[in-house]
Amino acid sequence: MSDHEELESTVAAWVLGALEPDEAASIRVHVEGCATCRQTVARLRRAAAALPLEVEEISPPARLRERVYVAAAAARASSVPSAPARKKVVPARGRWKPVASIPFGRLPALLAVASVVLALLIGLAAGNVIGRNSVPPAAAQVARYQLVGHGALAGAHGTVVNLKVEGVALVDFNGLPPLAKGKVYELWLITPGGHPDSAAVFVPDSNGGKVVLVGLPLTGYTEMAVTAEDAPNGSPTPSQPPELYGNLG
Amino acid sequence: MELYDRYAGLSYAVAMRVLGDPGRAEDVVQEAFLKIWTNAAGFDPKKGSLRTWLITAVRNRSIDYLRGRSAHERQELELQPELASTSTHSDPWREVSLELERMAVREAVGSLPAEQRQAVQLAYFGGYSQSEIADMTHVPLSTVKGRMRLALEKLSSYLLGRGLVDV
Ligand SMILES: [Zn+2]
Repeated sequence: MSDHEELESTVAAWVLGALEPDEAASIRVHVEGCATCRQTVARLRRAAAALPLEVEEISPPARLRERVYVAAAAARASSVPSAPARKKVVPARGRWKPVASIPFGRLPALLAVASVVLALLIGLAAGNVIGRNSVPPAAAQVARYQLVGHGALAGAHGTVVNLKVEGVALVDFNGLPPLAKGKVYELWLITPGGHPDSAAVFVPDSNGGKVVLVGLPLTGYTEMAVTAEDAPNGSPTPSQPPELYGNLG
Repeated sequence: MELYDRYAGLSYAVAMRVLGDPGRAEDVVQEAFLKIWTNAAGFDPKKGSLRTWLITAVRNRSIDYLRGRSAHERQELELQPELASTSTHSDPWREVSLELERMAVREAVGSLPAEQRQAVQLAYFGGYSQSEIADMTHVPLSTVKGRMRLALEKLSSYLLGRGLVDV
């Protein structure tokens, strides 16, 4: 068998990713210079690319769609401010003022708005990838901040994606510990004066993840924080110092 | 998002087939979509279909998780397959075409001799190298190569025979 035939017989293994790296490198060099093998490669790759079609589709959980949206929007936000040292958000009585939670009835509408905005952002990003036209960066419309867990919430974190134009923000939480029975997490927006406004209540999924929609513009707030409060509606005021928080800007 | 809605089910299914772990499968799918949206360098529509690129990214990343290896330690499937994307079909046709292609692939894979099917599936969904497959199946390396080649040639003929070349 000539060298050429030996290499050609390895093409099938190559298009299936089944070669050791050094073997793969040498066949790549050969194929680049051999028209016959290039044709074989093209034909067999088409067949290999069809293999995954044999798998029966499985609908992923709905939360994955939200996660992908949030992550894509976050990736579009070019500036990632580092989180400076925490400002005081100790719930001094009289400064943590009672504020109503978002009425649950508003959430579907808000989610729809956020989906549209994100779809637009993602559409722009996809346009870039395909190279049809260049679009201005979306950084001016989207900002991203980090929430970091401490104490009992050490290991938890959140990525805040602020869609300024729509006055809507999303927070992608990960690593949240399971809640005690009868508790929910409550998200707070905190003014420069230390006044907390309730922004949302939520329960994470079994992996400690959750995408939370914040239906308030972040304008005028300097921090975001999370506490555990009584289910189902949370508390009008935080009952404890927050252990997951970060600066907005 | 249109791309997500069209391919999330297939992406997730491929990740689940490789990993069998819903949490990791979600991570892989998220990474693959982000990659296609944020990394302009990786995809050239003149060279291949978006679906192939996406599913290949899902497969490669799933194998990384599964085998605990980083990408440079093994051969990756090429992310820029040399497939001429000649499709000017409308989207409805593409959906029909995908369904036809699936049926053809299932038929074709189902008709392969078991040892040929096993060889390509161990490589594609298991991430095993040809020498690992030779060890596992107790046959010479040349036999494994031959089985892979026969399997892919048959699949290729099947798809060509049905006019499903726009993979
Ligand atoms: Zn050659």
